Parts: sequence; structure tokens; C-alpha cells
Amino acid sequence: MATQEIGLNEALEAEGIRAYETDLAELIVQLGKDRPSHILVPAIHRNRGEIRDIFAREMGEWGRPAPEGLTDTPAELADAARLHLREKFLRAKVGISGANFMVAETGTLVVVESEGNGRMCLTLPETLISVVGIEKIVPTWRDLEVFLQTLPRSSTAERMNPYTSTWTGTTDGDGPSAFHLVLLDNGRTDTLADEVGRQALRCIRCSACLNVCPVYERAGGHAYGSVYPGPIGAILSPQLRGTQSEIDASLPYASSLCGACYEVCPVAIDIPEVLVHLRERVVQGGPVTREGNKVVLKPAKGHAAERAAMRAARWAFSHPGACAPAAARVPHPPAASALPAGPRQGVERLTRPPGRAGGALPRLVAAHTRRKGRCQVSSRERILGRVRRALADVPGDEPSYEEAVGRDYLREHGDRSVEETVDLLAENLADYRAIVHRCTADDLAATLAGMLAARGARTVLVPPGLDPGWLATTDAERVADTAGSTPYELDRVDSVVTACAVAVAETGTIVLDCSPDQGRRRITLVPDHHICVVRVPDQVVSSVPQVMERLDPARPLTWISGPSATSDIELDRVEGVHGPRTLEVILVG
Amino acid sequence: MRVALFLTCVNDTLYPDTGRAVVSLLTRLGVEVDFPMAQTCCGQAHYNTGYRHEAEPLARHFSDVFGGYEAIVTPSGSCGAMVRELYPRMGERARAEGRGDTLAATLAPVVPKTYELTEFLVDVLGVTDVGAYYPRTVTYHPTCHGLRGLGLGERPRRLLRAVRGLELVELPGADECCGFGGTFAVKNADVSAAMGADKVRNAESTGADVLCAADNSCLMHIGGTMTRLRSGLRPVHIAEILASTEEEPAV
Ligand code: SF4
Repeated sequence: MATQEIGLNEALEAEGIRAYETDLAELIVQLGKDRPSHILVPAIHRNRGEIRDIFAREMGEWGRPAPEGLTDTPAELADAARLHLREKFLRAKVGISGANFMVAETGTLVVVESEGNGRMCLTLPETLISVVGIEKIVPTWRDLEVFLQTLPRSSTAERMNPYTSTWTGTTDGDGPSAFHLVLLDNGRTDTLADEVGRQALRCIRCSACLNVCPVYERAGGHAYGSVYPGPIGAILSPQLRGTQSEIDASLPYASSLCGACYEVCPVAIDIPEVLVHLRERVVQGGPVTREGNKVVLKPAKGHAAERAAMRAARWAFSHPGACAPAAARVPHPPAASALPAGPRQGVERLTRPPGRAGGALPRLVAAHTRRKGRCQVSSRERILGRVRRALADVPGDEPSYEEAVGRDYLREHGDRSVEETVDLLAENLADYRAIVHRCTADDLAATLAGMLAARGARTVLVPPGLDPGWLATTDAERVADTAGSTPYELDRVDSVVTACAVAVAETGTIVLDCSPDQGRRRITLVPDHHICVVRVPDQVVSSVPQVMERLDPARPLTWISGPSATSDIELDRVEGVHGPRTLEVILVG
Repeated sequence: MRVALFLTCVNDTLYPDTGRAVVSLLTRLGVEVDFPMAQTCCGQAHYNTGYRHEAEPLARHFSDVFGGYEAIVTPSGSCGAMVRELYPRMGERARAEGRGDTLAATLAPVVPKTYELTEFLVDVLGVTDVGAYYPRTVTYHPTCHGLRGLGLGERPRRLLRAVRGLELVELPGADECCGFGGTFAVKNADVSAAMGADKVRNAESTGADVLCAADNSCLMHIGGTMTRLRSGLRPVHIAEILASTEEEPAV
């Protein structure tokens, strides 16, 4: 979304560089020369027939054409996208990503996704460029234990999304050898300077507010005129872009103030409060920050008659004796509908207020500088200065962050014995369509051999540190993964077998940390069949907070909850988009 | 207990029957109701349209008029929410603008004493059976500010269930806004009308004779939509149902 916000694709196109969208819905939007209409499901306005026609007509223009006789079933359409994009993933030199979160204390970036296109972009190209809004920074690693649970629940009502990737800089021999982080301001520090409006920066883009909004439901996403539609868009766009344009001045009014958005927002953004605040900015003007400078907006001109009416009504209502009964019986001030649209605002400059220190952004920048020994962030001082000035009204870091943040939420949900925890893991893995097997350590080799034979796998990819005994009895040809193995070679193997770092029972998640028995991130992504071995009970924890404690943020982590999946076509769930379409998990113990 | 009725400007002008119903209901329950003649408007329309500074004199006036009462009762969820939720916020904003604590201090006394009618009945008087009689099939629309602002919850439904002769039927999609939203209905008329039409269709699907709510602004919008759609339903304020008795039925 950040790249759409800044029009990156268009800018690259102008430089002769073609950028391919890789999220299924964004691919549909790009091929259809269209605009996104939802945060999570940008092509929600397209039905399956339209998607089939777009694929059949446009894919050939951009690369691998759609298969002959493509029908409009979501599974076939998703498969066409898999084939079309795989060709690009396997040869792309540069990947561009966003991030859902960035952790200041460790310098870690996090991408939360379902399809596996994110994993492809993060791990296959030689160069990774991440463009991320500065509001995505959380102070500590531990904060993720909250957000990684909150985001999937509020956005897709899942316990956990299929894939979460975290990375901290580059890792030798695994993934891109060059990583560039672009921290995006684009109006965010100006928004931060507004005491009431700054809460909009808490948004984690879950889209829950869109899904309950009666206005969004009827007006559709395109009506909001920005990459951020719905209630959050109505408070974000006029802050990031200012209220000068006609659309931005009208967005604060695109709500009946029913409050349904505030009720569902997991980060408690009082959207109606900000809407009313921005209405005030439109009709009354007042102090705002633009490009880091304090300015005073004049009231918009188009509202003169409404303003006069409000003033008259105020006078009459606060002097009830003066002209009662007539004036006291005006039920509504005259409305503005008959007025010409397109308020314009005047801007005057004021001097800058003194700055002050603080914030997670400097810590994130410092964390990267430490790792790299130098700082690639241009405009660094300017943005940090704006952050300091924007927070001039906020008291300093006393008490400390850890003291100030309530951690009295549940560390796990319910009391379980060790066996019950393992059973819950098996149940939740299966619920997410992983195929679960259980065996003893002695039976592992035979179990694996049987599974590979049943799959008809002729080749099996083996990470360098995998216990050789595990595959001692299989008939499949063992293919070693080496640093030189190309993505095309990985694409040709039938199956891959890995161990894991830890598994989370409550969410049915296995986590890989790229230890030698798990291998490079790409080997569990490109092959179509992944078998993961979990040693129970030692490798099983109950909950997300417990798993955060066991993981090392410096290692690249991949969280897997079932096979890759998409709901981008008419919200019909299809399993297997870019990652392995079959995930089998063996619980050994 | 010295109880004041804050009728609201909309009711005073367009729905005086609601005011009469509140007075007869409260009087029947033994409450002495005062109607301060100096009352006008809480400032909600100003505030929500972006004219916070114009709303401040109205809020101060409200506080002057009602500050001396032990309880202030209003038959409007949104005006009740204005006083309870937004008056404190107006005080905070004034403080943030460097205007000191005066506004916050002026408004503070009326905030906790202001009750929406059904809250006053259930929480303060502790009654759910108010001795009413209303032989109709009724569906209840919880208005947004009552539901999400004040958190009226089950109170209105409990009161309605205790009314003799009344059959209460559930409204599908009850929690969804009717589309009024004050100036929203004027500035975004198409979306507002579509929301109103869905509300009326949902109400019709219940087979009720009457759609009841605790806010006449919403009922005005819904009622207008009913007329436009030639619906047989009638919009009725909950006070008028609760005031109705066998001796003096409102139907
Ligand atoms: S505003 Fe709240 S509900 Fe809406 S997308 Fe952002 S986090 Fe989700």
C-alpha cells in the first residue's frame, strides 16, 4: 500500500522499469488497469467472470499467458496466477516489499500474509527494497506478541495467517544479499503533530472498520479516492494529503458517525472523533502542520453560508429570550448541500516550535546503523527532527516504555497438560489443512519413506543439517540444497523435508529459523510439497507470547500456519497459491 | 429529587408529544418533573458538523440552565451522548488550546447527572415495568449513539417487554445505522437514503406495526423513508409507548 500511496509503479514505468504486482488481488487490479477498492481484498469489486476475462486478455501482454480454456472457478484462476507469477519470481533481480511492523530494538521487519508472494519477494531476488511508513515501528520485540495475534483475528478472523516472515538485515547465503529500507514519511510526521488526528497512525490496516461500515458497503472503495478506503481512509487521506482538494475536504463528511468502526477497531482509533476534528479543520480552519511547518489554515470558503447559519443558530440558542419563540424553534441549521463544492484553504506560515528528543524511529534507525556500520537513510535528520517537534506536547519517556505498557494480558489461553498441548497443536494444524502424522523416533524414517512414496515423490530436497537417518530408507532421490542451487532447480524437486525450530499449539503454527536442519527460507517455499518434522513435546509451546521468548530476532524467521491460501476471488478460499500446496507435519515423540 | 426534562430542540419543535409523554410517564412514576423554560439546544449539530467553537456557548448555556438539578432526563440518545461523551472532550480541547480549565469546570457538573430516558428509568428509578399498555407488534431500533455511545444495551428492550399487550419482535440488522447522521443525510443523501431503505425493509420483514426507537432524529429519517416507500409501519418514540396506559391508550 505504501508503494501505491507514493505512485511507485508509475514512477518506475516512467524510468522504463516494469513492476509486477504479486498479490493476487493486486495482480487483478494491475492487469485490469484498475484501482484498489479494499485494504485487504483490493479486487473485491471484481467477480470471477471479470477476473477470468482480465487474465485471458492481459496475462499474455505481461508474461506467461493464461492457460487455454481457463474457466472462472477460483481454484483455476489462482492456479493461473501461480504459473504466471512463478516465472517472474524465479528470475526477478529485485523485489520490493512493504512491512506490517518494524521492531526498533532489534531492527527487524515483519510481513504478515496469506499467499506466499511476500515470501517469494523477500527471499528469491538478490536485492530487496522495503518501503515502509514510519508509523509501522513498534518499540520492542515483545510488542509483536500482541500484534501478531491481533492482526489476523481482526482482518480475516483467523487464529493465525498462513505466513509471517521476519528478517533483520541480510543473512549470508540465504535470501537477498542487498537490503534497502526506505522509511516513508509522506505526511506522517505532520499527522503525528496533531493531538487528535495522530491516533490514525496506530492503524494496523486490518480492514475491520471497512467491513462494518454502512457507508463503505454502499459507496464502495473507489469513492474514497485514495489507496486507503473506508473509515480509516476518511481520516488518513485528509491528514496525509491535507484538506485542500475537493475529495480530501469531503472525506471527513463521508460518515454518519454511527461509531461501528470505532467499536471494532483493534487499536481503538476513535474514528468518529477524528472525523469531527477534521470537519472542524475544513470549516473553521486552525493550526496544522504541513511539511514539518506549523501553519494556520483559513476556513474553507465553500462553507460560508453554513458557517453563518451555525453562528446564527448558536446566537439564538444561547439567547433564548432574545427572539423566542421563532428562533428557538429552528430545528436544523440550513444545510450545505446547495452550496458550491470544492472548499479552498489559505495557508500562512508560523515559526517552528522547539523540538524534543524521543521515539522508536531513532532507535530503529540506530539498530540498522549498528548492523551495517553506516546509515543509508537519507533525509534522516529532517524526519527525526519532525518527529521530535511533532511530539513536543507528549511527556518524555518516563516511566520507561516497559513500565508504561500493560502486559497483564493472558500469556496462554487455558490450562493444559503437556499431552493436551500437543493434541491441540495437532488439532489446529489439521484445522488449517495441514496433514498431521504422529510417530515415534524409531518409526520416523519409515513414516517419511511411506509419505514420500504415497505422494509419488521422485526427488526430495534435503537441508544440509538434516539428520541423515531420517531419509535413510526412502526411495526418492535426495537432492542437497547448496548455495548455488537456482530457484529453477528448487522448482523441479517434488518434495522437501525439514525440521522446525518450535511450534505453537494455540495457533497451529510451525516456526522455522533457518537452522541447518531447516535450511534456507526458499527451500520450504518453492517446492510444492513440504514435510516438517516437529519433536514433541520439547519443540511445542502453547501460545504466541511463549514462542516470542524462544526465538532469536537476529535469525530470519518463517511462521507457517497451513498451506498458502487466498480469498481474493469473491472471498472464496483457495488453498495453495505461491507456497507449497501441501503441508504435512509429523509430530515425533 | 429535582428532575429536569431536557426536551431537546428537535423534540421541542417537531415532536412535542414526546415531551408530553415523558412528563406523564415520569409523573405517573412519582417523579416531580421540572421543565426549565430557558433550555435550548445541546450543540450537537454544531459540534458534529465541525463547529465546536460555536457549540461552546450552547454547552455553557446548558450547564447554566440545568446545573442546579439532581438529574437531567432527555428522551434522546444522541443528545444524551453529546452531554456525557462530548462535553468532557470539549473541555479537554479548550485546555489543549491554552484556554485553561474554565470550560471543563463549567461543564463538569452536568455530565454525570444527564440520563437518557430509559437509563433513568432502569438505573435511577430501578423500574422495568412502568405499568404501560400498548397492544401492538413492535420492533426496536437501537440508535447508534444510544447503542455505542451511551451503551443503553438491553434497557429499552426490557422496558418494552414489560409493556402489557405489546409483542416485541427482533429487528434484523438492528445494530446498523439508519443513515440519518445529522448533516450526513443532506451531504450524502444517496447513501443515507439507501441505508434508510434497508432499515425500513428490515423492519417490514418482522411483520411489526410499529418501529420504536429512543431518538426522534433517527425516527424522523426512518419515518420519512417509510412514507417514501409507502410502508404501513409507523415510527413511534419509546416514551410514547411507555406513557400509554389502558385508561389513556396512545393507540
Ligand atoms: S482503523 Fe482500526 S479497524 Fe480500521 S483498518 Fe485500521 S486498525 Fe483496522
